[in-house]
Amino acid sequence: MPERGKLGRAAIAAPIERLRARTWERLPDWTHPLIWFALCILVLVVPTFDDIWVRMFFLVGLYATLGLGLNVVVGMAGLLDLGYVAFFATGAYVVGILSAPDSPHYSAFFSYWYLLPMAVGIGALVGVLLGLPVLPLRGDYLAIVTLGFGEIIRILALNMSDQTNGSSGLFEIGRPDISYLHNLGLTGRSTVDNVQYFYVMIVIAAFAVWFVTSRLRDSRVGRAWEAIREDEDAARGMGINTTRYKLMAFSTGAAIGALGGAIYAPFIDFIAPNSFSLLVSINVLALVIIGGMGSTQGVVAGSLILIGVPELLQFSETADVLSKFDWVGQGVNQVIDGINAVTHLDLSTLPPAEKWGAKLALYRFIIFGALLVAIMVLRPSGLFPSRRRKMEFEHTPEHETAGPAGTA
Amino acid sequence: MALLDLSGLVAGYGGITAIKGISLEVDPGEVVTLIGSNGAGKSTTLRAISGLIRPRAGRITFAGKAISGMKPHDIVSLGISQVPEGRGIFSRLTVAENLALGAFQRHDGEVHADLDRTFRLFPRLKERENQLGGTLSGGEQQMLAIGRALMARPKLLLLDEPSMGLSPVLVETIFATIAEIRREGATILLVEQNAAMALEIADRAYVIESGVITLQGTGAALAQDDSVRRAYLGEV
Repeated sequence: MPERGKLGRAAIAAPIERLRARTWERLPDWTHPLIWFALCILVLVVPTFDDIWVRMFFLVGLYATLGLGLNVVVGMAGLLDLGYVAFFATGAYVVGILSAPDSPHYSAFFSYWYLLPMAVGIGALVGVLLGLPVLPLRGDYLAIVTLGFGEIIRILALNMSDQTNGSSGLFEIGRPDISYLHNLGLTGRSTVDNVQYFYVMIVIAAFAVWFVTSRLRDSRVGRAWEAIREDEDAARGMGINTTRYKLMAFSTGAAIGALGGAIYAPFIDFIAPNSFSLLVSINVLALVIIGGMGSTQGVVAGSLILIGVPELLQFSETADVLSKFDWVGQGVNQVIDGINAVTHLDLSTLPPAEKWGAKLALYRFIIFGALLVAIMVLRPSGLFPSRRRKMEFEHTPEHETAGPAGTA
Repeated sequence: MALLDLSGLVAGYGGITAIKGISLEVDPGEVVTLIGSNGAGKSTTLRAISGLIRPRAGRITFAGKAISGMKPHDIVSLGISQVPEGRGIFSRLTVAENLALGAFQRHDGEVHADLDRTFRLFPRLKERENQLGGTLSGGEQQMLAIGRALMARPKLLLLDEPSMGLSPVLVETIFATIAEIRREGATILLVEQNAAMALEIADRAYVIESGVITLQGTGAALAQDDSVRRAYLGEV
């Protein structure tokens, strides 16, 4: 490190460090059950909101599910996968190809409830197939190759138009039939065809995925993944069959991605290759990192911020709320007028409050970017760091050690 | 019959042949050391035994079974466990978790008892049971690496330069520990640059130079050998 860089870093770091220490460096333990309780209440009352809000929460739930899946690959096994969208697309296309009426392979034979497990199974298989050739790769190299896979799946969907309808996409994807529950009098509808029902479906899926992945993390498999993440050679020396466990991580993550896709397809009703761009992979990875790698609350918080906030900034309700703060703008404008009266600076005044919402919507990606930067500066280990990450950031090594400290 | 038998072992990386026909034996209950300077092929020999690299030629027999070319996890399950060069600590896992991973392939009910045994052997590790491996000092990490390898209940323990990067006092401690493990009846193949310490503890020793064995004999005999004294014990 050059001396200059060190000095510069110290000058910036000190005030940030103070800010961090003063603010919410760590939520006290007693708040955790409260947060969980609030979250459960929120989950339960969401269906009573307006459709646009339920839709937003559906997307948050979808991305939380994807985040939990990617977390298996990236957080637990330490395999940086930048092409996670490939598996999401696989799941969506399995359901789409077999259930959209204008699809070349439409079959009335398969109900959605056959297609869902089929999508998950095919997703897991694709995970193994994509995993096999990239197994010897590590770190950056793996990231680049997986990035390629994400694009390959999208381009395949675009060019195999005999199978996928190419860029014109697939419409009217088959929706889950719940007439059995309806006949029992448990549900008001016989198909899942509105946002409320899809919301319930994604909540169930997210909880199932949470349950499975947290059990996996605490199992022998999870320990093997962590060992591989820390030091692959040492893991081999412990007698861990790294090939097998890396493939397991890949296909578990892939199956969860496909599950998300299989629920997304009937919800959105129309899929085309463009729905599965690199941005999906980036968003899922970003929410895992922002939430706090390896932590479940983190994934939920990350998807609320990453998926919820940009949607929220577009809502007309947001603009309505902002107009209530008109007095802030008027106050600021008076100050500006005062300055203009005594100086020649000629500062421009703030626009009237009813225009704030539109401006916010326009600038939402800038606001959003600033928010992400702020989070990563103030909480480098994520919003809700997992127990392990927390330990890592709080303890610094007592002695400099000669051994190679497992650099990823 | 020897527990471990290497004959004519050739191995390397890419275009480089690091060892060119190594033959050595380790009998049950013995401590055998392989000494040599940096780059002589010591670690390559160990990596070939544990299956981390594939030998190009030659034969490795362990407990009567040919193991050359087998996968590392199959070799571990036969009872060879190693302390890798540079320790290979899982730095973001706790001390207890590191030790548990040492017993990854075991399914018997005595893992917990062995954990207690390891903590008796290394009281420092007990104190730091819930600390992350990466926060330990170099000496403690070396103890952890040895303890972790013992958790597999190996028939043969491979030690790759346990003294590397440690202060003289810590080197003494580590070698005292190796002596204690040996008293409990372990079979050890020790690779070292620190020839003085290694020869003192070893029953037998081999000297490796540029990938070939140049000398062999009992530890005491080699410690008296003129060429060894000049080359490895710093005497003129």
